[in-house]
Amino acid sequence: MLSRVADSLYWMSRYIERAEHTARLIAVKLESMIEQTQDESQASWQRVAAALSAEEYVSAHDDAFAFTRTLAFDRSNPSSLLLSLRHARDNARQVREQLSTEVWEHLNRLYLRLQPVAIESIWVHQPARLFRELLEDMHALEGVTYSTLSHGEGWYFLELGRHIERAQLIGRTLDAHFGNAATPGTPAPKYFDWLVLLKFCTAFEPYCKVHTAALHPDTIAQFLLFDAEFPHSLRFSIDRVCDALTRVAPGAPAARRAAVERLAGRLKASVDFGQVEELMGGALAPYLAGITRQCEQIHESVYASYILYGAETVL
Amino acid sequence: MQQGLSAGDVLKGIAGPYPHYALGAPYDEMFDRDGLVRQHYAAFDARLSQLPPEELQRRQQACELSFLHQGITFTVYSDNQSTERIIPTDLLPRIVTAGEWDRIERGLKQRIQALNLFLRDIYSEGRVLRDGVVPRSMIYGSKHYRREMRELSVPHGAYVNVCGSDLVRNEAGDFVVLEDNLRVPSGVSYMLANRDVVRRAFPGVFRRMGVRAIEHYPRELLATLKSLAPFHEDVSIAVLTPGVFNSAYFEHAFLARQMGVELVEGRDLLVNDNVVYTRTTSGLKRIDVIYRRIDDDFVDPLIFREDSSLGVPGLFNAYRAGNVVIANALGTGVADDKAIYAYVPRLIRYYLSEEPVLNNVETYLCREEKSLNHVLANLDKLVVKAVGESGGYGMLVGPHASAAEREAFAEKVKADPENYIAQPTIQLSTAPCFVDGGVEPRHVDLRPFILQGEETVIVPGALTRVALKRGSLVVNSSQGGGSKDTWVLAG
Repeated sequence: MLSRVADSLYWMSRYIERAEHTARLIAVKLESMIEQTQDESQASWQRVAAALSAEEYVSAHDDAFAFTRTLAFDRSNPSSLLLSLRHARDNARQVREQLSTEVWEHLNRLYLRLQPVAIESIWVHQPARLFRELLEDMHALEGVTYSTLSHGEGWYFLELGRHIERAQLIGRTLDAHFGNAATPGTPAPKYFDWLVLLKFCTAFEPYCKVHTAALHPDTIAQFLLFDAEFPHSLRFSIDRVCDALTRVAPGAPAARRAAVERLAGRLKASVDFGQVEELMGGALAPYLAGITRQCEQIHESVYASYILYGAETVL
Repeated sequence: MQQGLSAGDVLKGIAGPYPHYALGAPYDEMFDRDGLVRQHYAAFDARLSQLPPEELQRRQQACELSFLHQGITFTVYSDNQSTERIIPTDLLPRIVTAGEWDRIERGLKQRIQALNLFLRDIYSEGRVLRDGVVPRSMIYGSKHYRREMRELSVPHGAYVNVCGSDLVRNEAGDFVVLEDNLRVPSGVSYMLANRDVVRRAFPGVFRRMGVRAIEHYPRELLATLKSLAPFHEDVSIAVLTPGVFNSAYFEHAFLARQMGVELVEGRDLLVNDNVVYTRTTSGLKRIDVIYRRIDDDFVDPLIFREDSSLGVPGLFNAYRAGNVVIANALGTGVADDKAIYAYVPRLIRYYLSEEPVLNNVETYLCREEKSLNHVLANLDKLVVKAVGESGGYGMLVGPHASAAEREAFAEKVKADPENYIAQPTIQLSTAPCFVDGGVEPRHVDLRPFILQGEETVIVPGALTRVALKRGSLVVNSSQGGGSKDTWVLAG
């Protein structure tokens, strides 16, 4: 596979994952607002902004309308939903011929659908509905991708991008609730906030099946970090990353592969053998920072080995 | 802008769904002079008469939506915002009979054969120049002549591997060649995309009329490119595109995908020891044939434009060394120059000792004094074109221009007569188009695509370009033209 193509597929997938997470956080937040007091809601919006790396684009005085506008539609916020979708589509356009017609058209329609929407036009009547519908479309896109693309190297670059992004998004979302990024001076999360956290990660029902509806911060952290079967847990994503890394660049020389796989193995060990009890007393934030750093190292190593290598290193 | 459709010509309209169909002086593809449906349109007319305008509107919208969703768009830039627009596609097919097509096919094969012989000649012995058939200055003075190509042998003598010639039908109903596009002709993806949507809009009549298939074009293109490789197993082929911002990017991606070959940009390729490689995740992979969709100037910054970031440094030397084939060959532009065009009938006679099957449009070369005087005296009747331009730029449509515009253009022509040619205003034929909820005539041309490798292949179809503005003769998509599907009948 062309290195440039791998690069575009990888980023297309990362941006789709980011868009999906953004849409879900906004939808859940808008739906849960009626159950919250003004202060709780404000604190919760701040956590959402932190989870989406948009702290510097919002202010404490913003209302729900302003938050939604910034997080979803603001072209100056580089992680807004609109820009994530646009970047996803731009990357897809670069590798149009590598995608199935179904995948391309689905993504293109998704982008065209959001493109002309003005927040004012959706705000009056159930603003959450737009984000729910986009989420449905994105889930459909995931299914179409799964069932119409060959599961070859390109597919595994998509998997790699999706799960390396997801691991970091889960990390940041947890950090916003448990760790450093939780804004000082705002109320600490309560029962309802833990419920919302689970919904942010589509985890409420799967969590209940394992732990019942008894919501404890420790078990929630345990579930979102280390559950082996739930697709939005950190561990699950890291597993997918490691698996994808064994399948990409099949013809690359062993030495190059070893550099990447060593980093992946180390990351996998740290989630496979993680203990939530050891993390809850303030150790979670540095642990999550470590995970993010390791994801970044894997990213760099993939690029150095398979995508941006110099010709002189192989001839 | 009522050329050819002046009020005096307007009939009352035609019975059936054509109350606004005004026949004028130009040849009409569907109706004869008396307003009767031509025989090869009869079945289509019957179907059209059953469909109310609202239904046609619905099908037209379905076509447009399909283009939008497929991303068959071009980008218009204005104030930081970029909008994507579809290239307008018309719902109603243009129909060509088996007999007409047979003549077109023979004519185009003859033409590409002569043009390839001409290119080989001017890049080697120069017999045609020695014999005085074409003036030397026209070749060696052309900005498209590539000295670097001299004495370089190309596979099967085929310099032009993909050609898209523009044909028009004159008032007498004969197809004539307006232009040969020998560099990097585009539009074939629209031919295929139009077919895809229009066949879905009229499935029954499409089947009943016996329309010839064109879907095998990508396969034929692949076979043509393969035939250019010096060996025949495991030929590695790539389509070289300028990238996603090029207006024809959709086509480049489409063809690569349909052929199952790699779509590459300049930055994906590198040359080492005169061998071309692509950079893949697993290492470097050798490339044998490049179907390039970038202009000569940008192919190799070491040889041509050094500011080109689209090309590949060292590519030309690899080409000269015979380690890679580039299609079309470089330097083909010298033969689709608007001035050389005037010589093509003579070239056919010179190289093939045959009479041209398809005629040219009568052309005055301003470099010849007699012609220049004629042109300057008849500017109001002629279309004057700058030799090196394309896409409808640098031209004067005499009958539509103001006196001041003609005056200004005359000065340009006098200052540099060798750079201009002139042709009578050709009344492009009209074909029915679905416009503003009704069926109206619009001017059309015809661009078939000719493939030349070991063999010459023409897929029985073409891009019919349409001047969508009433009365306009300009069909270029850069200037408001659209396109429609072309049905070539089996017999």
